[in-house]
Amino acid sequence: MSDHFLELRNISKFYGNIIALTGVSTTVNPGEVTCILGDNGAGKSTFIKILAGVHQHDEGEVLIEGEPVKFNSPREALARGIATVYQDLAMVPLMSVWRNFFLGAEPKTGVWPFRQIDIDGAKRIAKEEMAKMGIDIRDTEQSVGTLSGGERQSVAIARASYFGARVLILDEPTSALGVKQSGVVLRRIVEARDQGLAVIFITHNPNHAFPVGDRFVILQRGQSLGNWAKEELSQAELTRLMAGGAELEELQHELAQAGAD
Amino acid sequence: MAAADDTATNDDAGAARNDTSGDGNTVDERLAHRGPIQQLLTRPEIGALMGAVGVWVLFWLVSAPFGTVGGTANFLDVAAYLGLMAVPVALLMIGGEFDLSSGAMTGATAIIAILLANDINGAGLGLHIAVPLSLAFALAIGWFNGTVVEKTSLPSFIVTLGTFFMLIGAKLGFSKLFTNKVLVEGLDEAEGYDFWNGIFGAEWLRNGHVWDVRRWSGLWLVRDEVWAALLICGILALLVGVFELTYARRSTTNVGSGLVALVGAAAALVGFVVLLSGDGSASNWAGGLLVAAGVLVGVAGWCGFRYESPDRSDRGAEAGWWRYVAAGLAAVAVAMIVAAVMNSENSSQLGFLGGPFGKAVFAIGIAVVGVLAVLAALGRVTPGYPAIGAVLVAVPSISFLVTVQAARVILFGGLAMLGVSLLWSGARRVKPSVVISLAISVVIGILAFFIQSEAGAAGSRKIRVELFTVLLLVALLLAASAVARYLSSARATAPPPPQFGRWIQLCAVVGVAATLIFGVLELVDGDGLLYALLTGIAKGGLAAFVVYAAVTVAYTLFTRDEGVGRALVTVGIGAVLLSVVARLLFVTGAELDAICTVGTDGELRCPQTQFGVVVLSFVVFAAVGSWVLMRTQFGSWIMAVGGNKDAARSVGVPAARTKTTLFMLVSGAAWITGMLIAFRLTAVQADVGDGNEFRYIIVAVVGGNLLTGGYGSALGAGIGALIWGMISQGIGFAQWNSDWRFLVLGALLLVAVLVNNYVRGRAEKVR
Repeated sequence: MSDHFLELRNISKFYGNIIALTGVSTTVNPGEVTCILGDNGAGKSTFIKILAGVHQHDEGEVLIEGEPVKFNSPREALARGIATVYQDLAMVPLMSVWRNFFLGAEPKTGVWPFRQIDIDGAKRIAKEEMAKMGIDIRDTEQSVGTLSGGERQSVAIARASYFGARVLILDEPTSALGVKQSGVVLRRIVEARDQGLAVIFITHNPNHAFPVGDRFVILQRGQSLGNWAKEELSQAELTRLMAGGAELEELQHELAQAGAD
Repeated sequence: MAAADDTATNDDAGAARNDTSGDGNTVDERLAHRGPIQQLLTRPEIGALMGAVGVWVLFWLVSAPFGTVGGTANFLDVAAYLGLMAVPVALLMIGGEFDLSSGAMTGATAIIAILLANDINGAGLGLHIAVPLSLAFALAIGWFNGTVVEKTSLPSFIVTLGTFFMLIGAKLGFSKLFTNKVLVEGLDEAEGYDFWNGIFGAEWLRNGHVWDVRRWSGLWLVRDEVWAALLICGILALLVGVFELTYARRSTTNVGSGLVALVGAAAALVGFVVLLSGDGSASNWAGGLLVAAGVLVGVAGWCGFRYESPDRSDRGAEAGWWRYVAAGLAAVAVAMIVAAVMNSENSSQLGFLGGPFGKAVFAIGIAVVGVLAVLAALGRVTPGYPAIGAVLVAVPSISFLVTVQAARVILFGGLAMLGVSLLWSGARRVKPSVVISLAISVVIGILAFFIQSEAGAAGSRKIRVELFTVLLLVALLLAASAVARYLSSARATAPPPPQFGRWIQLCAVVGVAATLIFGVLELVDGDGLLYALLTGIAKGGLAAFVVYAAVTVAYTLFTRDEGVGRALVTVGIGAVLLSVVARLLFVTGAELDAICTVGTDGELRCPQTQFGVVVLSFVVFAAVGSWVLMRTQFGSWIMAVGGNKDAARSVGVPAARTKTTLFMLVSGAAWITGMLIAFRLTAVQADVGDGNEFRYIIVAVVGGNLLTGGYGSALGAGIGALIWGMISQGIGFAQWNSDWRFLVLGALLLVAVLVNNYVRGRAEKVR
């Protein structure tokens, strides 16, 4: 019955007696951006970790192409095409761009015991893949520590898409970036979507989420407030829901009164 | 929108580039091509390499036996025992962990092997069982260290400190339990000793084979000619290789310039013959000048023949260059005066600051350093002032340490180097800097002749001939590169890989065939398996190298292959190394006569120099370690787990397995070291190896490895070990007071770390 690539049904996660996440459902499709919004402590991290295979869900179902799955390790999630770009980017700053790009899956050449990394090939592919993302890296021998935050995000996204990711999970990619850099990363998200990837974009900034998202899930204190398609929601509504709705209205009200006095 | 424009323009540029180069070699146009020298300067081990050369030159100058085969074998032995461990320890450090038990482990494996072989209730197991068991023990401890560190996430510093104390206690306890002594002995009485001694106790007696050559051929080995020719060919290949990598090829061949190059080469050859055949001052001058002129004309011709001329519009000059030039010339002049004034015959301890005056300066210096350090820590003065204070302490310290002769060398060398580097700074301020570069080479040339004439008959042959030659060579190289820089324009892009792939296979075939043939010949001669294997590999490698060099030179001269540069550099480095090996491993007739005595029975007796298996193991470890780190997946993983373990794990690097493997590698190397010690001494003290773990770490740091992990070089650790070996043995050779050894080593550590820090900063900037 499922015509979605990835579907989540009433996912819950408990840490002992703490309810970290309960009753979250959404769908993820190729060529779509699904945004997960929520304030700090809303359960966004738990949500990603379940999808990335770091944690396992306690209730509910994760379906990939209609088949229920439970990932026991990040490797299993990767094998099913779910790649996660973490907030801290999972990069080694002292290593070069091409080494980071291929880390864990280095292309090899030669016969054992003389098997070595195909360095020229790795450099070429890294450069080409980065170019596809619209980033023209000067020298793949450059160490990642010298790149800007946006460029690092781009390396991570390009890496995930090169290694056959079908679902790309981006964990707060814009939170540590300036306005301009955020714009660059949002553009990468759109480019990844246009290449046919399903993108899960986790953020607490509705202004970043709304322009690129096709589907929105808002989490609050471990619970899902709902699951909307883009046409069901305006940016103002999204912001309102996200900010805890009534509380913010009350604050606005108070401020307006204060201004009137 | 903007991004779309960017991509479009870049695509256009890329297409245009591909049209011109035609080979689809994508190189970014914003990235200036870095020549081989710049690339070398970003390597982590460059500081250690320069330090090693400096230390070698220093001891070579101040002590007679240091540069001989015996001296080399001596410091190589010390360096090899250290470096054999330092290379895996460096890999572990790059992987972000320490192993404090590594030193104690070396002794532990030796003790276990001997005890198991001999002393279990008086009936031993024999070495065939004891030696593999000790390896199993070492690997198990390595596995234990790695697993505990990984499972508990405790710092490896604490965990291995625990293993360290346990090993020390166990070594002492078991030694006394079984033998009632702290000395475990009797390895040579164990069953299977001959077999294992053939592996771990093997020694290569260097001289034995050269004497044979002399006997059957009736000729002295023409060592000096062989090594000089190899050295010159190597430097030539290196120079041309660097030119190829640095400068752009011209599209049309310029035959006239080619002829000029030939004339220059011929003149240089004639000059060289004059230099070799005469031994007087006049012929030296005439020959030297002829060689210099010939080489410069040759280089100029070659550049005109092969490389694009530069655009001369950029003639900008920065002000103030002449100040540097004047200061540089003054420093060189002062250096010469200092050398002339201080007595070169005086080998007594330097005493002029050792009296009450010196002690006062020393005390004041220490006080000043202390006060300035406190002020610097408080932020009141810049850190440069404590450095000046440190110099105040260092000068009297050196005067306690060295002889008048050594002080003279240090002063003269330091001042001359200062002068030359000031001139160099001046040259860098003027574009194009060919005139000042030539001036620098002239200054170095004059220094060479000054040293040669001033050393006179009293000076050793080393100073008169060898230093003279080296300095002339340096001067000539500088002048040649200045001329080339002036006449050629730099490459915009990195050269493509060379086109002679299938010839490499020929080299491999020749190498393997020669290895087999020579190996079998040696085996038939009855020289033992290990010796036959090593000789076979050495000769096979030599044959492959000769073919490779021939192919490279042919491609350079007769094809338009742009990729020959790197191959030429390889050939050049290979030839230079071979020349050094030829110089160190073979003796001349005169040297032979000097050290051999005729016994009462009429037999010629000559002292032999021994190279143990440890040197071979060290070289193999350094080479394989570097290859693994730089070129293999495991090497990438090592750097990744040391640089950011969580990141590495999240992209699928098996971090725990990588680290555990590294711990086991260290303990495996400790086993090899332990066996080498055991078979050299046959009796082992319970405390052997304790405390060495810090030396391994120090040596790795000197070699450019970061204490915090994630960055470093296995080769660097090997070079660090060489520096340590050279200093600790060189102080003895130079007959300096060895009480001060740790002062020198400590200072070396500080300097090395500072240089590495600077180089790393530069590397990141250049990248």
